[in-house]
Amino acid sequence: MKRLRALHPSIDIGFKALTRNRLQTGLTMLGITVGVATVLAMMAVGAGAQRSIEQQVRAAGLNQLTIKAGNWKPKTEDSGGAVAHQGDAEDTMRLPVDELMPALPDAGDPFAGAADVLPIDFHPEDDPMEKHDHPLAWQRLGDLEAGLGASTTLSFADAEAIRQLPGVQYVAGGVHGNARVHYRPEGGAEKRWFTRMHGTDLHLLDIKRTWTLRSGRFFTEEEQDDKAMVLVLGSVVAEKVFGEQVDPVGKDLMLWNQTFRIVGVVTSASWVVRPAAGDDEFDAVYMPYTTTHQLLNLTKLNDITVTAASTGDVSALSKRITELLRQRHNITNEKPDDFTISTQATRAITTGGLPPNVAAAIAGNVKELERVTLEQLAGTLERASGTMRWLLAAVAAVSLLVGGIGIMNITLLSVTERTKEIGLRMAVGARGKDVTRQFLTEAVAISLAGGAVGVLLGLVASYLISSTLRWATVVSPASVFIAFGVSAAVGVLFGWYPARRAAELDPIDALRHE
Amino acid sequence: MIGVRSLEKEYHVGDHVVRALRGVTLDIAGGEFVTVVGPSGSGKSTFMHILGCLDRPTRGQYLLGGRDVSTLPHDELARVRNETIGFVFQGFNLLSRTSALENVELPLLYTRKGAVKAAERRDRARRALAAVGLTDREEHHPNQLSGGQQQRVAIARALVNEPSLLLADEPTGNLDTATSHEVMEVFAKLRAERGITIVVITHERDIAAWGTRTIDFKDGVVVSDEQHAPTMGSHRPVSA
Ligand SMILES: Nc1ncnc2c1ncn2[C@@H]1O[C@H](COP(=O)(O)OP(=O)(O)OP(=O)(O)O)[C@@H](O)[C@H]1O
Ligand SMILES: [Mg+2]
Repeated sequence: MKRLRALHPSIDIGFKALTRNRLQTGLTMLGITVGVATVLAMMAVGAGAQRSIEQQVRAAGLNQLTIKAGNWKPKTEDSGGAVAHQGDAEDTMRLPVDELMPALPDAGDPFAGAADVLPIDFHPEDDPMEKHDHPLAWQRLGDLEAGLGASTTLSFADAEAIRQLPGVQYVAGGVHGNARVHYRPEGGAEKRWFTRMHGTDLHLLDIKRTWTLRSGRFFTEEEQDDKAMVLVLGSVVAEKVFGEQVDPVGKDLMLWNQTFRIVGVVTSASWVVRPAAGDDEFDAVYMPYTTTHQLLNLTKLNDITVTAASTGDVSALSKRITELLRQRHNITNEKPDDFTISTQATRAITTGGLPPNVAAAIAGNVKELERVTLEQLAGTLERASGTMRWLLAAVAAVSLLVGGIGIMNITLLSVTERTKEIGLRMAVGARGKDVTRQFLTEAVAISLAGGAVGVLLGLVASYLISSTLRWATVVSPASVFIAFGVSAAVGVLFGWYPARRAAELDPIDALRHE
Repeated sequence: MIGVRSLEKEYHVGDHVVRALRGVTLDIAGGEFVTVVGPSGSGKSTFMHILGCLDRPTRGQYLLGGRDVSTLPHDELARVRNETIGFVFQGFNLLSRTSALENVELPLLYTRKGAVKAAERRDRARRALAAVGLTDREEHHPNQLSGGQQQRVAIARALVNEPSLLLADEPTGNLDTATSHEVMEVFAKLRAERGITIVVITHERDIAAWGTRTIDFKDGVVVSDEQHAPTMGSHRPVSA
């Protein structure tokens, strides 16, 4: 302490100023403290809003687009039937599921295995002639996912070419189908589950920002290269087959009469999306697309999922991909695309619970839909946090003004109290600017001390805002620095007038002052 | 050392003009010990403020060490005060809640090259305190010192930047007779050892007797100016 004070006369002056009239100084600091705390909280709310906009945009997958083989479009006028265009009907990929599992023991009896066995053993929708009073799988999941109208126009080479485009973050090609999985515990009854099968790329986990690994891991590059017999289960499959308590990682599961090793379980990280039986993401199993290709003797992809490095770039990227694929597929000018690019936003609408015809109408009419949603989302958040920021700015301005006036007051008081001292300092050689500096130092010392407490208070306030009001807040080192800067600025601004007054004193008058 | 020519100082109070100095011309040589006497209101303090560069004359010339300082700007005057002049006041003017040592260091904060380094400041302040015989009171605060000791701290402060001119306005005004003579003895010793020019204002004839020259003011003019033998240490004048 003594060392520090000896370092520079100004430091000494500052310390003395803080300890001179403790109560008054403390009260004066209070205004600055509240002001600085509010400034910090204000910036934290602003930065928090900014970040949560970005996060939500990312999480919502607004930077994501999907390229599907074929140019199937929903028919707008009828009950949800699909119309096939050139390119998809000729070479439809059908998963040869039945050939691969010719001798399933339960094939004939839907309820074999009785009580222990999960009820959905055979899928009632498997009968194409049946009339149903509920939406069928292909209606719920979309025709392409249900295996209707898939085409063979997308190749792995296409995916690699897209990967090279500027603005691309991740690329994952996929092959999709339905599958039955079997698990036979030692000495126990066999369990089966009818679910979705996705042959995909290891980058899928990077793309799916709302996913998290409940246990284990996603498959590795090595496993993908080696066409390894590994599976990642959606959490619904894991629960239905193994029960909620059991961690299936490391266990074996049968699919297409082949044995797969389970390496991980994925589930939703977002409370908005609850995994449920029948959904496409978590009532599903994932394997490297190379493994699917190998087992089913395939070379094509059903779809390619791409994320744009920047959200605003989605439309432009979509155009670049269109050009690239048309060129690669040798499509001449007047012919339509043999693929379909959809963004997350259009997908959200077409698969988001709206009746298919309504969804199709919206998707067809709203151009650059993803941008609309992005701006709307950002706009709503911006407006809400803007109100909060204005409120805080007003509080900050008022308290900084009050604090500043307090500092001016206490500095004027100090000047008056110590007029004689000023005279003496002048007599021994202090110039006007030395005196100015002394009182400015005092004012800034008080405001900085108030600012330091204010920064602490601001950190607490930001924490409280995020924990009680559920507002995202981000306190960056820069904002702490700025808050300190604001308090110093207030000290200089409001200390200036008293300091100048002190400097302009006549030394003789000051010396005579009682 | 000092030369003043037709020095005049006027104060304006309302539309009234107070002529505090009405043409003072005199020279003070280096090493002189001048005492200034005269009735109250005769202009002694006004004269000393001008000598000390705390104030500027209305008319006339003031040469300090051959340099005309009567028209220098404020900051230049501050520099002259810092480097060549030491002040001692009647009321001591020490900073309370500050140790004797720190009080003495004060002029070293305002030197031409900025504040002198802390260690050197401390060193020089110690030596100045030693010169006035207060080595054992460095850490004492003014309220822990007697009047005479406080005035000696003030003298040490005036000395610390090694000025060539020491100005004291009634330095013994607040002290009893014995202490007054102790303080005057310090002045006499400094003059003898360092050849500092000293100007002391006093009301008391026996204090004036410590000097080598006495200047008598009345109504803003010098009415008598005579050299005399100083009354030193062992040979003290009989108090009135
Ligand atoms: N700032 C001022 N404004 C107006 N008049 C002043 C001012 N300072 C001094 N005077 C006047 O100038 C005259 C000389 O004053 P000065 O202080 O020099 O007297 P002095 O000889 O020091 O008196 P004392 O022995 O009482 O200290 C006085 O009449 C005084 O009223
Ligand atoms: Mg006087």
